[in-house]
Order: sequence, then structure tokens, then C-alpha cells
Amino acid sequence: MKQNAIYLKVAVDMFTAQSLWVLGFLGVMIVVHIFRIVSSLFGDFEVDTYFNSVFISANIAMFVIGILCFYFLPHFVANGVTRKDYFKGATLAAIGLSVFLPIITIVFSVLSQFIINQIDGITINNPDINSVVQDIDTDGNIIGNIISSTVQSFIVPPYIDPNSNWLLAISIVSINIFIYYLIGWMISSGFYRLGTVPGLCFVFVGLIILIAKDSLLRITLDLPLVEQLKFLDILPKSIAAITVFLLIIMVIGITRLLTKQVTVKL
Amino acid sequence: MNLVVNNLSLNYGNYTALKNVKFEINSPRIYGLLGRNGAGKTSLLSILASFRKATSGSITINGESPFENADIMQQIAFLYNKDYKDETDNIKSILQDNERYRPNFDKEYANYLVNRFKLDQKKPVKKFSKGMQSALNVIIGLASRAPITIFDEVYLGMDAPSRDMFYKELLKDQQNHPRIIILSTHLVSEMDYLFDEVIMLDKGEIILYEDYDSLMTKGAKITGNAELVDEFVQAKQQIHAEQLGSTKAVMIFSELTDLDKGSARELGLEIGPITLHELFVYLTKEEN
Repeated sequence: MKQNAIYLKVAVDMFTAQSLWVLGFLGVMIVVHIFRIVSSLFGDFEVDTYFNSVFISANIAMFVIGILCFYFLPHFVANGVTRKDYFKGATLAAIGLSVFLPIITIVFSVLSQFIINQIDGITINNPDINSVVQDIDTDGNIIGNIISSTVQSFIVPPYIDPNSNWLLAISIVSINIFIYYLIGWMISSGFYRLGTVPGLCFVFVGLIILIAKDSLLRITLDLPLVEQLKFLDILPKSIAAITVFLLIIMVIGITRLLTKQVTVKL
Repeated sequence: MNLVVNNLSLNYGNYTALKNVKFEINSPRIYGLLGRNGAGKTSLLSILASFRKATSGSITINGESPFENADIMQQIAFLYNKDYKDETDNIKSILQDNERYRPNFDKEYANYLVNRFKLDQKKPVKKFSKGMQSALNVIIGLASRAPITIFDEVYLGMDAPSRDMFYKELLKDQQNHPRIIILSTHLVSEMDYLFDEVIMLDKGEIILYEDYDSLMTKGAKITGNAELVDEFVQAKQQIHAEQLGSTKAVMIFSELTDLDKGSARELGLEIGPITLHELFVYLTKEEN
């Protein structure tokens, strides 16, 4: 009973602290969005939805929050909390955050669309984000491919238009940002536990997982794949979806192994 | 609380930080942990507090291993010279956090101590002076009232009046709420009156673990004619000797019987006490 109470306390505390960071990020994005609405009045009279603006940058925000997530561990251990309770609490907080962020975003987005519709002359831009990936040129070598795929998965992860299916749109954003968070967490745990050089290996592993996640989600959702990964198209959708799930479990498992007996540095 | 440390060793690569450390603590008293820089004090305390695992050996608290044991970990508070340079929270929220996770935390007592040390409750802790940050550690340690409380050179940066306040509050609270308090320190002469028991660590090994009062009866300084002093201390454990002309002073670390005292008097030798500070310095002295 006691243990349950502790990890739930950790989850609540971490979610509270991290959701303040998320709200800070969304607040900055609102300022950017307002600036874009105002500037569109002097330009092409077109503006993206708030959802789309956040969609692109939320991955990086969650990646950074994931990196910082590790640094709660020394704090909790110093307060007499086990690494296990920290881990369970942090995972729950990450799930909560991944659901909280897109829901808040979609609420703001609907509000902003309502306001934009009141302003004469501005139209809401609805770009085909998913087809952008097919326009990316690569120079044909492996390193180039990895870099371009990674950059692209940071910039244009699989996208579902919230106007077509808002629940699926939120779910996809949730899965995306959850994986970014987990990878950030895994990388910082790797650096802290094993030092710089092995830590860099975790960056590499993280990048591979991101590319895999990106392609598998695209297959699951029937979205176009990057040119050099077209061959993956033969995978059935169900297998691709299960593999995304397994990837998540794998990253969580690696992070648990890294933090299970980690020494708290003084 | 019963704490048993059995053959505990810790290696960092080829370096041995702790070697077969073995001791047992049973009573809620104040234990002074003394050792030179690099003796392994902080390594030992980090293992006690589950901050790290030992390479070999075991620790049990009430018969259970404390590492990753939720019930035991929350009963152990480890306060050290923590770097608060990135801590944007103020004292209020830090203490609230402690209250959430420490079952015996006394909020009123914490507030009393905050006022006593005159700390600003609203200022971010990173803006505190080093001494104030140390005072915060003292407050957390005392107000957590953890059954095992460890202070590892927690006084760093605190001025003499604040340190004195810490010692007084520690004794007062220990009287009202007895617990196992382990104080690791270099300020031996300043803090010796706090200790009920003394544990001395040298090069990763326990070289002494004794009740403070009986320890003080063991150490003595024999002064007098060099030849007579040499004869008297021959069969005793000598830890230090000084000579000026024909007068010699030898510090010994052996119990003196009434017979010994009588024969010293007959020989015209003076028997004086030695301090814990002297005992510490000479017992841990490097051999040339």
C-alpha cells in the first residue's frame, strides 16, 4: 500500500512540474501564433492552425523534457524514494503529459480558428504535411539518409488532420511525443550512468528508433514513406503497429535497466 | 533500528575506497564518523543511504537490505554538502517536498529552524550564500526526524555562531526525539562533545569504534624524564612522541590500570588527558 502511494505521489509531482514547462512552451507558441496571424494581415493572408504549429515543435519540446526527466531521480532518491517508484511515477507522468499536451493544443486551436474566422480576409492554411517527406532530396549515401530521415522525422512526423479525425490526430501526436520523451529520457540516463562515449551510442540508438517509429507509423496510417525506406511498404499494417508498441516497450525497458541501480552522484 | 554493516567493500576500478568494513549500530545515539580526506567516509555514507551499491559485502537495517527498499529508504535521510546552484525553488517549496516524502517530517519544527537560522523563505535557494544553503541542509535533516539521519560535513560554509546553533539544536532535538545520527566531520575538536560513539575510518578501513567516554579514558599523555617515560610506555601502544631536551611526552592509546598510575606517580611522571582531535590526528597519521 505504502509503495503504491509513493509512486503515485512521484507521478503527480512530476506531472505538475513538467506540465508547467509544457504550458510555458504552449504559451510561447501562442505568442508566435498571434504574431503570425498579425503578420499574415500584411502578407499572404494565410495562416497555419495552432495545432499544426505546435505539432511540428512539440516533438523537440518533449525530447528536451524527456532529457530533463532523468534529473528528478537524484532528487527523489535523496528524499528516500526508490529508483523503482521514481521510474513508475516518471513513466505515468510521461503518459499523462503526452495526452495533456495535444488536448490542450486542440482546445487552443479550435479557439484560435474561431477567432481567425472572425477576421475578414485570412484563410487557414491546410498544407499536405505528409507529402512533404517525398520532396526531400537525399544524396544517396547511408549517413545522408540517416540525417535526412532524422531531420525529417523531427520536422514532419506522421500527421493526421484534426478536422478529419480529431481523436486519431490526438492519439498520433500523443504517441509521437511520448516516444520523443522516452528517447530523451533514455539518452540522459545513458549519459549519466555510463559516461560520454557510451552516452553518444544512446543518441545513435535513439535516432534509429525515431526513424523506425516514423516509418512504422506511416505504414500503419497509410501515409507516404520516405523514398529510401519505400521497401518497408510490404509490412502489414498490424505488424507495423505492434512493432511501434514493441519499440516503446524496448525504450522503457532500456531506461529501466539504466536507472535500476544507478549511483546518485554527489 | 538495528544497522549491521558486514564486510562491506567498494572499488572504483583499481582503487579500493572501502575494505571489509564491519560494524553494528543498535542504539539511537550520535555517532561521530572521523576520517581523513579520501578515507572513504562519503562512500560509506552513500551506501548506507542507498545512493550507491557496494562492490561486495552487505548492509542490513532491521534485518533487511536498504537498497531499493521503499520502507527503509524513507527512514534514512542523507544530508551532504549539496550544490544548490541550479535550485530555483524557495525554502518553502523544498520543505513542502520533504514533508510529502518524509513520514516523520515536522513542519512546525522546520519553520522554527528557518526563523532561527534567519533564512528568507521566498528567495530562490540558488541565491543563498553557501552558509545559508548548509543551514537549509541542517533544517531538512533535523526536521525530517528520520530514524537514521546522516550529516556528511553538512556545516561547510556556516559561520561559527550558526554552527553552534546547529550543535545546540541537534542535541536538543536528539533528547526529545532520539534517533541514530551519524555526523561525519573534520571539525573534531569543535564537535567532539556531541558524540556518544566514535567511528574512525582510515584508508577505507575501520580503525576504531568506541564509546566516546571509554575512548577518552584510554588515551593519555605521559610526560617526564625521557628514559623513565620510555620505560613506562614500553608495553603500551604509542601513537606520538615529542622530546625537548631530556623531557619527553608520549601519547599512548592503552587503558591505564591503577597500578600503572601508581607506578607513574612513583617515577615522577605526569599523566595528562589527550583530546579526540589528537587521537584522530595521530591514529590516522601517514607513516614516513
